[in-house]
Amino acid sequence: MKKKLISMMLTAAMVASLCACGGDNSASSNTDSGQSSGNASTANSDTQSGDGQQTQAPEGTTTIEVWTNDRHDLEYVESMIEQYNQSNSDGIFINLSVITEDYQNMLALAYNGGTAPDVVGANSLPLNTFADTGILIPLNDYIDADETFQTVNEPYEHAYEGLNLRNGNIYGVYSGMRSGVRVEYNKDVVEAAGYSEIPAKLEDYINMAKTITEQNGGSCYGIGFTSSSPFERLLEMSAQVSGIFYYDYVNGKYDFSGYKEILELGQRFISEDIAYPDQQAVDNMRALFAEGQFALWSNASQEASVFTDQIPVNGFEWGVAPVPSITGEIKGALQTTPSKSYGIVSSSKNKDQAWKVIQFFQSEEFIKGYLENGYCLPISTYMDGVIDKSKIGRLADFSMLEYESVYPQPPIINLTGDDYRIVLWNAVMDYVDIDDAIEDLNTRYNEALDADVASGATKRLVISDYDPLHPNDGTMTYLEE
Amino acid sequence: MQKTNKEKTKFSRDDLVAGLMLTPAIVFLIVCSIYPFIWIFRYICYDYNGFTATFTGTRNITRMLSDKTFWNSVGHTFEYAAYKLIFIIPLSLLMAVLLNMRMKLANLFRGMYFMPTIISTSISGMIFAFIFATQNGIANSILQGMGIIDSPIKWLMSRDWVMVTVTIMAIWGGLGNYMLYFTTGMNGLSEDVYESAKIDGANGVQTFFRITLPMLAPVLKVVLMLAITSAFKDYEAIMVLSKGGPGNRSMVMFLYIYNLIFGSTDSTSQAQIGYGALLSIVAAVIVGAVTIIYNIVAKKLDDVV
Repeated sequence: MKKKLISMMLTAAMVASLCACGGDNSASSNTDSGQSSGNASTANSDTQSGDGQQTQAPEGTTTIEVWTNDRHDLEYVESMIEQYNQSNSDGIFINLSVITEDYQNMLALAYNGGTAPDVVGANSLPLNTFADTGILIPLNDYIDADETFQTVNEPYEHAYEGLNLRNGNIYGVYSGMRSGVRVEYNKDVVEAAGYSEIPAKLEDYINMAKTITEQNGGSCYGIGFTSSSPFERLLEMSAQVSGIFYYDYVNGKYDFSGYKEILELGQRFISEDIAYPDQQAVDNMRALFAEGQFALWSNASQEASVFTDQIPVNGFEWGVAPVPSITGEIKGALQTTPSKSYGIVSSSKNKDQAWKVIQFFQSEEFIKGYLENGYCLPISTYMDGVIDKSKIGRLADFSMLEYESVYPQPPIINLTGDDYRIVLWNAVMDYVDIDDAIEDLNTRYNEALDADVASGATKRLVISDYDPLHPNDGTMTYLEE
Repeated sequence: MQKTNKEKTKFSRDDLVAGLMLTPAIVFLIVCSIYPFIWIFRYICYDYNGFTATFTGTRNITRMLSDKTFWNSVGHTFEYAAYKLIFIIPLSLLMAVLLNMRMKLANLFRGMYFMPTIISTSISGMIFAFIFATQNGIANSILQGMGIIDSPIKWLMSRDWVMVTVTIMAIWGGLGNYMLYFTTGMNGLSEDVYESAKIDGANGVQTFFRITLPMLAPVLKVVLMLAITSAFKDYEAIMVLSKGGPGNRSMVMFLYIYNLIFGSTDSTSQAQIGYGALLSIVAAVIVGAVTIIYNIVAKKLDDVV
């Protein structure tokens, strides 16, 4: 009898716990819809701001839900939103949510579940998944009707095929950019090695790194590489400015043959023991650079704030220089990364108000403060002339070079095996033969491209008048065969 | 007759209670394990990036058959599992035996050895990255200080050494867990047998091989099976410590599948959920086959013994 009673109690407890789980779920889904549904635009909905504080939309306002995956600029963005929420005359209340983990999947889930926001930070959203599926809407009509927006942001000058532009439709307008890769160097060590500036020719650059390693006998190495995409952070960029790219735009196929010379030169870093012996995570390597363990590091403009605030360099003066090319001449564009663009989600019931929010985020006042806080570099010539450059600190050293541009997005394919950056770095490390690596990549990439084009999963991009110095200026055609 | 009816009724009530108690577990099992497993079958003939699915027929299967990186990762998985099992099982058994000898501070040591099990894999991966750094690494400093090596070993940068490094970390992380299984098994062994052996003049080694090990055989069998399956499924520590490198030397099959399905930071390719789903089924078949072979061998050994 006693056992029976205990059994019944346990069963009841389990059922109760299940009900509790269900109850919790429904409660949380209610809260979610209140927080993030673009459709739930009525006033008085409880909202969760980016810093986790509870804020309340005033009576009679329309809440525009905004999702972003940028956290580094939260302090500035939130303070501007607070001012906007209090002062705008359009009856709009912006509710910002910061989603740094798994942003794309979270957004797709919210869209499919009917709880997507109205406005999304769009610079990291691939068009083949977010525009081609109808999640984002084209902004052309809104842009065309707003001359001030066009003056400040120059949307048509900074429309990049496959990134924010598809078939003439613009899905987000960039208001900032991250520079292409630069060489950051320890001035004291480089000068002690007899160099007054960073060589423009890759071979000379390697020789300089070798001299530094030899001179310092293990206390300071010439150069350091990270384990996180090391090929991308120097050699791939040196190849780009030498006119070498992995996609042959003219013939619409992948071609890695051009990398042979750069790989042979890169091998010297390892075979001649020039480089710092470990390749650790990016922050570890930055810390080692800041500690003077090696003299040459290469990365984009984010290093300006990293080496002044996050991992400050105190023991020596550090300089910034362009990446070297094979011959010392610039024959191709250096890839930059445009940033801070916003898109409107097609499920939004308040698209016009959503556009007004984008107008606010990309207004001269907002962008000026943003850029002068050093969060990124200006992308438009107009904003470049407006900002006070004395306020942006070391970011000024990363100002746009005349040969910097954005490459049109090569077709996104379903590749079997390793990515080209891994394989080419393996060739630099001498884990695979250079010729074998190039042949393997040419075969696998083009097999995947042909198969994906045949199945309709992607299209072949062809630019018949492709110019490596101005890759985005040619006539682009998408072929279905 | 009445008694039989009563028994029947009683059985039915127990059945109801058992059924009610099992229902939540069954529901969770179906929702969280069985449904996702069936779900992945849906996409094995598709290119699916999480947004759009394109039917590709048998292409994923032909890709799988010619995917050198995958088959190399299968080989590395077997190699890693073999290294791990060869060391971790005897070592954890030895630790369990030593700590079962009623020594002072046994519980403290037991707790210390178990501690790595509760430390997050990503944290331990980072710690081991510092320990095994070539330049200024703790392991190299100690070995050089003791005069065992002349120049630093490239633990994580050398294709010859990386498997040793990930195996050391795996042993460190799993030792306490298996030690606890063995300790629990040994607690169930009768003291009378040990006392008899002592009276008969058996020494420690004889007691271990003639009494402890045979009596622990059923536990050992289960522990070995768990160890085999977990060794084949390990990838988190490798992902943090070496990312499968250098030159894919420590790439195991589940890390490769993870990179395909969730995308890796180094990749310019998109998420390949369809192809990843097919490979995960192949990997599950491989792990299942190894477990079945182990069970058959263990049963045959039982019959022989």
